[in-house]
Amino acid sequence: MRKETREYNFDWMLWNTFSAASRLKSGTEKEYLTILKYIPYFRGVSKAIHDTGEPGQKFIEICSKYLENLVFAKEKGKKTAITTFCFSPAIFYAMDIMPVCLEVLSVMMTFTYKRGTAEFLDYCNEVGFTETSCSSQRGTIGAYLARIGADIDMIVTDTPGVCDTNANAFAFASTYLNKPFFQLDMPPDLTGERSNEYHREDYKALIRFLEEQTGKKLDSERLWENIRELAKQDKIIAELEDLARMVPNPLPVSYNLMVYASRFLFAGMPECTGVLESMLKIAREKAAKKISGLSGGVEKLRAFFCYIDHYAQNLQLWQMLDSLGVGYQGNILSRSWAHNAPHVAEYHKEEAAYIIDTTDIDSLIDSISMINSRMPMIKSIRGPYDAPNMWLEDTLGLAKMYSADFIVYNGTPGCRNTWGMVKLLARDTEKAGYPTYIMYADAFDARVQSWESTEERFMEFLKVRRLG
Amino acid sequence: MMKEFLEASTVLNNKHVKQWKKSGKKVVGYTCSYVPDEIFHAAGILPFRIRGFGATDTTIGDTYFGPFICSLPKCMLQLAGEGKFNFLDGAIITPGCDSMRRLDECWRKAGSDVEGVIPPFFFHYGVPHKYSDYTIKWLTEETQRLIKAVQEHFKVKIADVDLKKAIKLYNYSRILLERFEALRTLDAPPFSGEEALAVILAGTTMPREEYNALLEQFISNAEKSPGIKGRVRLMLVGSANDDVGLVRVMEGEKAIVVADNLCFGSRFYTDQVEEDGDPVSELCKRYLGHNDCPRMYGDYRRRLDILKQKVEKAKIDGVILQNIRFCDLHGSENGLFERDLEAKGIPCMRLEREYGPLVETGRMKMRVDAFIERIQQRRAIA
Repeated sequence: MRKETREYNFDWMLWNTFSAASRLKSGTEKEYLTILKYIPYFRGVSKAIHDTGEPGQKFIEICSKYLENLVFAKEKGKKTAITTFCFSPAIFYAMDIMPVCLEVLSVMMTFTYKRGTAEFLDYCNEVGFTETSCSSQRGTIGAYLARIGADIDMIVTDTPGVCDTNANAFAFASTYLNKPFFQLDMPPDLTGERSNEYHREDYKALIRFLEEQTGKKLDSERLWENIRELAKQDKIIAELEDLARMVPNPLPVSYNLMVYASRFLFAGMPECTGVLESMLKIAREKAAKKISGLSGGVEKLRAFFCYIDHYAQNLQLWQMLDSLGVGYQGNILSRSWAHNAPHVAEYHKEEAAYIIDTTDIDSLIDSISMINSRMPMIKSIRGPYDAPNMWLEDTLGLAKMYSADFIVYNGTPGCRNTWGMVKLLARDTEKAGYPTYIMYADAFDARVQSWESTEERFMEFLKVRRLG
Repeated sequence: MMKEFLEASTVLNNKHVKQWKKSGKKVVGYTCSYVPDEIFHAAGILPFRIRGFGATDTTIGDTYFGPFICSLPKCMLQLAGEGKFNFLDGAIITPGCDSMRRLDECWRKAGSDVEGVIPPFFFHYGVPHKYSDYTIKWLTEETQRLIKAVQEHFKVKIADVDLKKAIKLYNYSRILLERFEALRTLDAPPFSGEEALAVILAGTTMPREEYNALLEQFISNAEKSPGIKGRVRLMLVGSANDDVGLVRVMEGEKAIVVADNLCFGSRFYTDQVEEDGDPVSELCKRYLGHNDCPRMYGDYRRRLDILKQKVEKAKIDGVILQNIRFCDLHGSENGLFERDLEAKGIPCMRLEREYGPLVETGRMKMRVDAFIERIQQRRAIA
């Protein structure tokens, strides 16, 4: 790692970037356009998000707020927990713990910095972590291993049974930093009494761990408030998802990213609700006018991403889709498995969904353990890809429901789990009539394959398959 | 004696398996050391640890698996695709790691493409990643599900009394292997690391009664042997290795592997199963409690302690921390072991390799030789 990189606190640096970005639009339009000239590596992101209007502004503001919370967590007497994107943060907020979500921080940095997270990725290898591990955690955890990030109190993950490289990154960090570690383990089956009981008992053990680490009992009132807020968010997301079924899709391509990032940062908190409400308002207006969310106004194709997105600098994936007139029909990260989600009713997947029950503390804990066990990735790649409620069923169901013209897989070379079955999945989705493209890029590390190559190969796929 | 063990450890369908099959009995393979052999023994079935040994390419494996996957399950699938596992009547896949657990789908898909590739009994056995009362409960139910499936498919009865007999037999095996380990760690071990691995591996491929008898004889002969002296004493740690040839390459003329912490090695026989109590539950406690694999997250300190004890007991001069490429679990833990063992003055070498029949022999030999030189120079200075 360069000496200069060590000079800056990682969280503080990101906070300053997003804090400045959140104020970009506070002046006149002329001032805004002038400032863009001075931020060549950030203007693409800023433009893509700000162009969505009020939701974009609110989204950047909550990113900044999240980072501010992280920077000042200790001053405010909060404990900090390194955690993962597929772990609902509602429980942490209810217990006054600041969740440090590695993957979202990696995305923020990959989007906004010319070098992305390269130095932190490499630092992990310098201290003994394998270079073949997933870049989504490495990109940020390198900063914490180098001790240039916030002071961390504990490490909590829920990916054992779902993703080895993810779980391993947390276990490694816990040992390296000598911090307490807790894992929620996921059995291969999603549904059934055995799995439900396992999820419940494991979640109760998590609460005991968090109580021990914070020295405080779980505040059921706060948890109740957070869960109620979460239910409100689920309702909005359900309506957004429903609107995305329209032809043309009235949602701008970046909405999908904004939905899942807001949930990963602030699920159960009013900050997330604010962004979602603003998005819904715009989406309803566009839907009423039957206007496409694409900036060109013409929807030529509809793509479903069966795994994650590509976070190359300046949101280039979204910009590419938008310029091609490709409607973005969501990915594995953006789907909520709340009982009121449109796909749950459409495919009668009530058993696989969660229901929020706030009757008493036990039902609250049951609800949140159900939510957690149905988070993106946790839900659909824990068991065999072709088992009920798993990856193939979800992919085909969602691709059909959202009228996708083709399916795209993108991940990281570190994703041992999906690379072990993606060829099989693609065979099955092709057989079902969906041209399926497997991207060999790294979502978080453009050094693996440059964005230019990635884009060229994507275009080649569209051409060869005569799409568009 | 050694010939018997070498044959059993280097030939998949060895003479013991052939004899077993000839007598009309069944063989069930499994991919991970978290599967209790005792269950199959109690059912009159030969439990057989599935390996990738002998695969000379991975064309079939690459057809189903993606590119960023460990070469061990690819080699296993390769052998299955080539019909080398046709003697198996069943296979159990566990989520030992992400690469290995996807062998489930890849093998099934290969089975749907080519008739006869997949054994008639195929079972996914879920194993939790931590040890607690509710994970034991879960695994006990999972094991009962496995027992039920075996009983139904093979039309056999797995009675508690037979399970208890099997537990006793396997415990006796573990006692013998502890005696074997004590010999292995002597100042002048009576056998090489290559031979030691052959002895241990043979236990995963032959009927347990025959194995115990051979092992008793082997130990009795070894106790009379003058032993091997004057070599650099190594310990081999990390990803799965079922290739005695790899140990031979590492040992060369100057070194001897006197200890290991491998799932095909000593991890296979440590810890006894409690003989009193409910046999299924006791089996689960032993197999899940046997936390020596990094798949059991958050238990690094215990594993480090095990290594430190072994280093002391076997008077280890250097530790080889190897991992198969894309094995992030062992690869990363090796990074921590290197940090902590080197801090204690124990020389370590990290080695990334591909699984396969002595691939990259030259590179590995050169690196191990350089490591041995480093140890020898250190000794000379001391």
